[in-house]
Amino acid sequence: MYEIWLAMNIVYEIALDLWPALLPLLLVWLAVLLINRQRLGKVAPSTLLAVVAMVGLVAVLALPSLTKSSLADMGYWVDWAFLLAMAVGFGVAAAALLWPVLAMRPSR
Amino acid sequence: MEHSSPSSPELSRRQWLLGSAGAALLASAAPSAQAAKLKTQAHIVIVGSGLGGLAVANRLIAMLDGAKITLIDSKREHNYQPGYTLVATGVWPVSKVRDRNADFVPSGVNWVQEMAAEFDPANNAVVTATGQRIPYDYLVVAMGTHQDWSLIEGMDVGAIGQKGLTSVYPSPQAAQATWTSMDAFRKKGGNAVLTLPATPLKCAGAPLKMTFMLRDRLAQSGTLDKSKVTFYSALGNVFGVKTVNDNVLSRWRDLGIAVETTQKLQAIDIGAQSARFVTPEGVTSDVPYDFIHVVPPMRAPDAIKNSDLAWKEGPFAAGGWLEVDKASLQHRRYKNVFGIGDINGTPRGKTAATVKKSAPIVAQHLVDVIAGREPGQKFDGYTSCPLIVKEGSAMLIEFDYEGRLTPSLPMIEPLQASYLAWLMKYRLLKPAYMATLKGRV
Repeated sequence: MYEIWLAMNIVYEIALDLWPALLPLLLVWLAVLLINRQRLGKVAPSTLLAVVAMVGLVAVLALPSLTKSSLADMGYWVDWAFLLAMAVGFGVAAAALLWPVLAMRPSR
Repeated sequence: MEHSSPSSPELSRRQWLLGSAGAALLASAAPSAQAAKLKTQAHIVIVGSGLGGLAVANRLIAMLDGAKITLIDSKREHNYQPGYTLVATGVWPVSKVRDRNADFVPSGVNWVQEMAAEFDPANNAVVTATGQRIPYDYLVVAMGTHQDWSLIEGMDVGAIGQKGLTSVYPSPQAAQATWTSMDAFRKKGGNAVLTLPATPLKCAGAPLKMTFMLRDRLAQSGTLDKSKVTFYSALGNVFGVKTVNDNVLSRWRDLGIAVETTQKLQAIDIGAQSARFVTPEGVTSDVPYDFIHVVPPMRAPDAIKNSDLAWKEGPFAAGGWLEVDKASLQHRRYKNVFGIGDINGTPRGKTAATVKKSAPIVAQHLVDVIAGREPGQKFDGYTSCPLIVKEGSAMLIEFDYEGRLTPSLPMIEPLQASYLAWLMKYRLLKPAYMATLKGRV
């Protein structure tokens, strides 16, 4: 329980540092989401899953070097599990961000 | 000089955000916010505005209704000291360890911007450097350590960054100057000397991290074969927890780092780049160096050391550390006095992680005493050290008073070099520190 509370606080403190970038992005996303709310259902789940997979793969490859480490420094399964969890998190966030944008595509 | 903080005419970014919905949500969910506030008119004085002092101040504000809280410290800059090793090894810019104390002192706390010079616990008073006498009902001592550079003959803290002289300990500026020297040294290599004194230290892992990182920087620069790295310990080991000590020595053997034990740094000739070491038997040896990392002997600040609050006998008496019960962190003789952080005369545990775990206990015990209850929780001495072994990899070592390894999560292997431990040090622990500072975790 304490670890969950600690993790929430860590995420909150990181967001405090990122809010100048996050806030405009969130507002634009909300606007696009509202404009396209009728068309969100037209985006195929497979498309969103593909976004999750692609962004997740890029995150797995890029996150270690972006944090001054490397894939060679993955010491044991906990490292891989944590890296994959972060990558999936980035993938899901990217899919959520792109969802209303993808809904803007003209129907075939 | 005193004022009620925060005094800045403009709301800072953090203050603005702390008033935002997100902060309100977090604050309302915080464990300390779930209990009813205790009504009291007690005057609580907190001496020291580091992590311990501010964490307790923020917690007491949330737990007490009507208390007068006074914070005594002249420091206006708040330094994230756990980040100094990252600055000193070229991983972080120095700006990441520098903040303003005014951004963290809670509203309603009276901040006396002076240093405490004397303690008069028999009469429940603190005397500041200008002679101002401040009475209290309850006292929290959070003064940290005093770095006793005077015990190293010839040492000049102002010369750090010159002639291969480095130290991560004194300040952000010293950490930055240390990286400048390390960066220059790694390009050509040479004889590197790293030291460890025999006194209790804050962040006792820092000298080891500096050693690992120096070796890694030499390897990255291709100058390792032109270099010799030797760690001189004034003790018989390099770390107080045996399993960790043995693991580090094994790694150093593999990495070609030499270790000399029971060699205390006695003197340094900065101009000649020579260090003098002495054994317990009094045998001295002069060691030339191209790069030296000096760790100062540490003790309690004079105001505590010279007061009746200090240990009078036992292993913590020589350093003048605060005489607290190691389980309750309450003073053993003055029951209205508590200690938090590095100042405490307790085994091990002079780290931010210790404060994270003990600040809630100290605040709760103080509230218990005000309410007429016996302090009921027991602090196990938890501390933690993300021990960097190279850029990109670290070990997440957590242990208690007894030196038992106590990982927070069962799947963590404390002696396994890992990316997760590195990421925590590099990216996650400062946010955790900030949450501790604000009294939320």
